[in-house]
Amino acid sequence: MPITTAYETRIDHVSILDEDGVFDETLGQGVIPEDQLSAIMEHLVFCRQLDETAFKLQRSGRMGTYPQNTGQEMPSLAAALAIDKADWLVTCYRENTGLFWHGLPPECILLHWMGDERGNHIPAGVNATPIAIPIGTQMLHAAGLAWAEKAKKTGAIAVTFFGDGATSEGDFHEAANFAASLKLPVVFCCQNNGWAISVPSSVQSAGETFAQRGISYGMPCVRADGNDLFAMTKVMKDAVARARAGEGPTFIEAVTYRLRDHTTADDARRYRDAGELEAWEARDPLPRLQRWMEAKGLWDKSQHEKALKSGEKRVAEIISNAEGIAAPNRSEFFDHMYADLPASLKRQRDSKRTTSLGQFPEDLA
Amino acid sequence: MAQVKQPADKSHFILPDLGEGVHEAELIKWRVSAGDQVAEHQTLAEMETDKALVEVPSPWAGVVTELCGAEGDIINVGSVLVRYGESTGHPPASPASDQAQATESSASEEREDAGTVVGSMNNDGDAPSALTRRRTEAEEVPTEQARALATPAVRGIAKQLGVDINRVLGTGRGGRVTASDVERFAQESATTEPPSNQPSRNRITVADIPEHTSAPSNLPTDATAGREPILPPVPVDPSGTTEVIPFRGVRRKIAEALDRSVKTAVHFTVVDEADITDLDRKRKEYSAITGRKLSFLPFVIRAVAHGLREHPALNAVVDEAKSEIHRKGNLNLGIAVDSDAGLMVPVLHNAEKLAIVEAAEGVARLAAGCRDRSIPREELTGSSFTISNVGSYGGRFATPVINHPEVAILAVGRGYEKVLAKDGRIYAGLSLPMSLSCDHRVVDGAEGARFLNTVKRLLEDPTALLG
Repeated sequence: MPITTAYETRIDHVSILDEDGVFDETLGQGVIPEDQLSAIMEHLVFCRQLDETAFKLQRSGRMGTYPQNTGQEMPSLAAALAIDKADWLVTCYRENTGLFWHGLPPECILLHWMGDERGNHIPAGVNATPIAIPIGTQMLHAAGLAWAEKAKKTGAIAVTFFGDGATSEGDFHEAANFAASLKLPVVFCCQNNGWAISVPSSVQSAGETFAQRGISYGMPCVRADGNDLFAMTKVMKDAVARARAGEGPTFIEAVTYRLRDHTTADDARRYRDAGELEAWEARDPLPRLQRWMEAKGLWDKSQHEKALKSGEKRVAEIISNAEGIAAPNRSEFFDHMYADLPASLKRQRDSKRTTSLGQFPEDLA
Repeated sequence: MAQVKQPADKSHFILPDLGEGVHEAELIKWRVSAGDQVAEHQTLAEMETDKALVEVPSPWAGVVTELCGAEGDIINVGSVLVRYGESTGHPPASPASDQAQATESSASEEREDAGTVVGSMNNDGDAPSALTRRRTEAEEVPTEQARALATPAVRGIAKQLGVDINRVLGTGRGGRVTASDVERFAQESATTEPPSNQPSRNRITVADIPEHTSAPSNLPTDATAGREPILPPVPVDPSGTTEVIPFRGVRRKIAEALDRSVKTAVHFTVVDEADITDLDRKRKEYSAITGRKLSFLPFVIRAVAHGLREHPALNAVVDEAKSEIHRKGNLNLGIAVDSDAGLMVPVLHNAEKLAIVEAAEGVARLAAGCRDRSIPREELTGSSFTISNVGSYGGRFATPVINHPEVAILAVGRGYEKVLAKDGRIYAGLSLPMSLSCDHRVVDGAEGARFLNTVKRLLEDPTALLG
């Protein structure tokens, strides 16, 4: 028998509004209604102000730690634009724009990073999970949520976000295999910002793209310019439509860049080239969208000034709200993990003792 | 690290943890001056932690009245960075503000140690406050050229009074020059004509030490330096002797060095044990990651390096001929090695800069060099502190003899499993015995104990040790 081709594939890269401001009218047609764009721009301005201010809150001791979102605003916002209120956002920690658009009060994110667990209490009616710090856990949660929605036949779907580094975790492969095999209504979105903290993509993976990691599980894979709101929204909408139609998961690789440090405990200058940062600053997604909207007459300088002013005011209010919440007391430590606290933990809480050897002498008798 | 609590009245800003688990930061550059009105989030200073160069913003709007630190200072998390107030004029220049900063909170705990010292410690020039973890090189080795440590406010006063601040003896935190130091200096200069060659500001002369302090009597003097006991040899009965070994070679060198040490240095030994249960886990993790078996020694080296940075008095050599104590900026660490020929002490240069694995490799290389006699001479001289890892042969405590002309030596015993207790809880843990000998002429009991405490604390907290 001769050698035949068992499988062949390709990865598409989608770009609509490119870094030179060129807009692809065919692909971009109707992706985002024009009358929605000024609200989106105001939202982006506010989110970036909050992001930069949160960084300063950490530096002045008002917040424990904080991972800045600046530069990576578009992928999660695109998801929030593409899904319905009943759909799930299952994120890690660089998806503030999408979470806030989906209805999460920004105070929750500030509280979380101020070390108050109550920041993870998502208000009823907001279908989002607490932000996931351990790398990769949330992809399994998303598959599980999608499975539940499928079983309940609600028609709701889940979109999950993770970084390029997370695709090296076993959790990703388990979630991807599970979701694809069971045709679960879930979208996997990898924010490839080029760096798993200080590990560059080239060290992280020998593959040419991260998108191709989804191929082996039998799901469609696509790559998009993660700094292009239109491209991201288009691929999200396609993926959401597939999920809702019962066709199973899609893997999206959003090619983007974190313009700041990994977290406030990091100094990216120690491992990233200054030239690389400069090149990506030129691709900053916010000015790109702003310039295009101004050229189209959908936004102007005075609107921008107004957005900055109201954004600043809103940021101050949110900080004051978050800081105004009384600190939790010690026993609340036990309150947020279990609906019904196991007996051993109840005993710890009530006795203020651990169950280590010797702490409960009566047990040793 | 727990977040620091800022004062509700916004009177001062306490340096927070600038990363995750950051304990201190070097003040690189002030971006405001005393008297400046600052806005919320406005950058106050650029500081460098072990992780990053960061800008520290003001948590609120206000008028900065005092900058608590000079560029180049190491500021500990929890210390006051700036003070705020209403006045826009000159900042409060009273020494109280400097002192308050130094003695706030934990300073009183430090004082409790004074009970173990001979005499009383009322000149704490050698005892860094609990809030000053590291000193700059300039502080460790004061020289004529050293730039005085002082706040800009104090510098302003010195300028007004026409005083060269670099000539003033600092009595504040870490040898910092306070406003009253400057004023006192100005008054003294006015009554007595300043000599052309003023002693360096940090060099304490005998006149500076109160009479009831016992320390100076132990300082080397012409009478004690190089004293040579003249004793008649004791006759030996050769009956029953099975072997006569000429007392020479390396054995003779060892004997001479130790003889000189015990006849010169005034030895005292302090012992303690560190709970290394957690460290043992870390050690095993490190071993697994690096794929090489690591002993506790490189971790002890790291703890000693940190400890000596906090207690520079122990990282020194005595020049008997000139009656001088030379404090060292770098740690050139002697490692006692048992070779076929006997004890040798090769030197791990700049041990404070070595990662755990580098230290382990360095020690292994030196030991191999001693055993096969290939070690170059440069690697056998120039140490300023020595570790003797007696535990690798057995035994817990020792009374180690100082590697003259150093002033301290740490003997590390064998780690052993024992029942330990913490927070009212008993558990089976691993304990590391340590014995520190110091030259009492140079190092007081309290300082030796503090250094040993620091080493113990670090060994018991691998996060702090390795962070």
